[in-house]
Amino acid sequence: MKNMKEVDLITPVEKAVKILSKMDLDFFDVYASYSRSLNIEILGNGISEARAQTDVGIGVRAYKNKGLGVAFSQSLKTKDIETTVKRAVSFAKMAQPDPYFKGIPGPSKAPDVPDLYDNGIISLTLEEASVLTKRMIEAASEVQQGAMYAGGVTGTHSKGYLITSTSVSVFSEKTSIMAELSLNYRRGDDVGSSSEYDYAVSLAEIDFEAIGRKAAQKALEQFGSKRVESGILPLILTPESISSLVFSLVGALSGESAVKGRTFASGYLKKQIAPEILEIEDDGTIPGAISSGTYDGEGVPRRPVKVVDKGEISTFLHNSYSAGIMGVESTGHAARRGYSGYVGTGPTNIKVRPGDSSLEEMIAETKSGILATNASFSPNMVSGEFSTTIDEGFLIEKGEKIHPVKNLMMGGHILDLFKNVELISKEGRTIGKGYFFPSIKISQVKLAGK
Amino acid sequence: MRDLLEEVVQKGLDADASFCEVRFFEERSNNITVENGVAKALGSGIIRGVGVRVIVDKRWGFASTNIPTRKSVEMALKDAIGGARSIASQSAEDAKVVDAEPNVGTFAHKVKVNPEDIGSEEKVKAMLDLEKVARTYSDRVKDTFVTYRDVLTKVAVCNSFGTSIEETTPRTYAYCQVIAKSGDNMQIGFEVVGNVAGYEIIEGIQPEKFSGEAAKTAVSLLEADPPPRGTYTVVVDPDVGGLFVHEAFGHNSEGDLVFGGQSIVSDKVGQKIASDLVWIIDDPTKPNHGRFIYDHEGTRAEPHMIVKEGILVGFLHSLESAAKLSCRPQGSARAQSHHYPPIVRMSNTFFGPGDMTLEEILEDIDLGVYLSGSQYGYVETQKGQFTCKVEEAWMIRKGELKEHLRDVAINGLVLDALRNVTAVGKDLEIKMPGICGKFGQGMYVDSGSPHMRIEGIVVGGRR
Repeated sequence: MKNMKEVDLITPVEKAVKILSKMDLDFFDVYASYSRSLNIEILGNGISEARAQTDVGIGVRAYKNKGLGVAFSQSLKTKDIETTVKRAVSFAKMAQPDPYFKGIPGPSKAPDVPDLYDNGIISLTLEEASVLTKRMIEAASEVQQGAMYAGGVTGTHSKGYLITSTSVSVFSEKTSIMAELSLNYRRGDDVGSSSEYDYAVSLAEIDFEAIGRKAAQKALEQFGSKRVESGILPLILTPESISSLVFSLVGALSGESAVKGRTFASGYLKKQIAPEILEIEDDGTIPGAISSGTYDGEGVPRRPVKVVDKGEISTFLHNSYSAGIMGVESTGHAARRGYSGYVGTGPTNIKVRPGDSSLEEMIAETKSGILATNASFSPNMVSGEFSTTIDEGFLIEKGEKIHPVKNLMMGGHILDLFKNVELISKEGRTIGKGYFFPSIKISQVKLAGK
Repeated sequence: MRDLLEEVVQKGLDADASFCEVRFFEERSNNITVENGVAKALGSGIIRGVGVRVIVDKRWGFASTNIPTRKSVEMALKDAIGGARSIASQSAEDAKVVDAEPNVGTFAHKVKVNPEDIGSEEKVKAMLDLEKVARTYSDRVKDTFVTYRDVLTKVAVCNSFGTSIEETTPRTYAYCQVIAKSGDNMQIGFEVVGNVAGYEIIEGIQPEKFSGEAAKTAVSLLEADPPPRGTYTVVVDPDVGGLFVHEAFGHNSEGDLVFGGQSIVSDKVGQKIASDLVWIIDDPTKPNHGRFIYDHEGTRAEPHMIVKEGILVGFLHSLESAAKLSCRPQGSARAQSHHYPPIVRMSNTFFGPGDMTLEEILEDIDLGVYLSGSQYGYVETQKGQFTCKVEEAWMIRKGELKEHLRDVAINGLVLDALRNVTAVGKDLEIKMPGICGKFGQGMYVDSGSPHMRIEGIVVGGRR
């Protein structure tokens, strides 16, 4: 990204703030961001395209009489900033009072979370990115040739600047690198397909060859998949499939929806939902981690939060709006939708505490069960019911993986899965230096197959 | 603006690009959020910029900028050329596009009532009126949420074939979501209207059939049972059929996934892949949410027949996939914005109608499941395994709809399911305005179906 032209975010934000200050508003904030991404795309036999993207924009959030007006623009020209401000203000005056709105946060000091950008990514060129991409594909090909590929490598450098009417002034800078490879092999009508990915703040964190090798090995293991009978069996979830389950719960514990009683977990604050071995922490202060930051999207300091403590839900994740409804402090989880002006709530680095079992032990001790290596739970966030496909998995019999499964669904209530957590492995997968997911055995799940 | 785009195309050719495409994109949107009787937020946004795509040294390069000035667009061209050259030494399939006839034209979709002519106060009042119908439907309604959105999209494309087109498309939407509660049991119902249209689509809403219907669904689901697990004969309504045709088969027919080795039907053109009753069509010229006149490569849109009487007869194409699969492009390449290159996308995708009534489809089913309303779906195209989540369902017993079911999802293998279509209704409806995600891009689409009967579908559930 050597050629990137730095964009001045400070001047346009200050211009907007100056106009807004004269507008007789209750509260406002202005956020502008800039990002430059380089991307090598993979499709078919290998690399298919090189892309460079530069994005910049400014968003305004204005409150008058507890009514919210929001406007954004991708142009930082003075005329467009003026129009954006004018629209946000006129919308705020037109909106009706939101009885839940209490205000936006003031300034807080927090120690810098270090190592959130990498000069290796800032100076990355498309040519260098294509070499990394090639290494990933070649590693897959060394496991077995003849695959068709999809995926890519994307490096991003971004900056953001926030000023609020409550004297918050926060500048942020981050880098990220993401690598993903999906591939499939064919033997007649049989298909072996899978994918592997990794992402990080710095280039040195990503092992491109390992991604290629793992993707190919996982795809080859999927040959010969068979349907299995419907039943009620133990389920072992690897880190790749447990992440979706954990995110479903954390999502249901986040922000406005959780606080307003709109999610399946809303009524479970301070209640036991799982055995004491289950602990889930959100920590946005881990140095060098992909979802870390000194401040959240409203300028509130990030801090570690234990979401599930000894099986009990200990807190919701808050921005200032949801915290205001409950009369508590924000937990520092305000998440901006880029420069759109809208502010929601979102998790940062999620870590599940390791247990004392191992994936091998879990499989060995299972007489008959399913190992899910890729599944996306996507429950009904209101009712908590889920009914989903095991995208990649294996039948286990007498303590051994027998064959991959296909056409197999599992269903139930998401909280029943947590209630039925039986074992947690001590080993697991760390992603982006911040996320950690072990393998987890669930004592029983209802399966729909043949 | 098109003068600038054409000049930059020429500069691309002068810099040894064998193909050059420069695309201007602008999208203006307005939205209103009403929650539990309060119009708590109004918003607007403008997205604007230029994307440049080239083939240089037989490789694709793409770059975009938010600043549609000559200097920035020329810088994007330089970036795109540099990008293509940066991967020229890597082994890959050669980039190419089919020789296309140039298209020149300007088209603006007409509306009866321009949303810009309606004041925000009037729009707010309309949404509050819709929300009130939901909120007052029952004392078991706990939460109501209504949103309004209008979007005006302008796309101009110039390329080195001499194509120079511009299309302006207005879209208008209303969405209603209702949560009903009884004890610890909470259920959700929703309705959406949206189309290539103006504010007339909002004026045409009958509240009791929109927000009233969303409330009715949420409240009635409180009494519904989770579905029994197992393999069943299912009957899909036009929404679930639409979700199925889009997810289960539509993505498999996208030309880029076909030449990229990601489709399960890549080698099956001319082969029987479905029951004789199955016709699958993607038609961007239909007056539905996925409508357009020119795609984002400037190709004039035409209807595409994909499956005819169960035989696979074609795929959806971009200029690239048409070149690689030796076909004629019919206009299926679109991009979310200037920040993305056009890729192959569905438009209005549907199963063709048959000749049966719903009663005839149901009458000889001893035990099955009737599926109604779509939530979401996905497909692993390379394996052909699909999952569709539906809004509600009913057990079918001896040809009649009986117990009401909730939280139902189905799963199957695409080709097995298509071969097992045993009845197709005559009641085709296309009314699923939505945004489809692919390769990180969202795109306006629609889909639909008549009622259809499919044997041997896995129904997931907690019973």
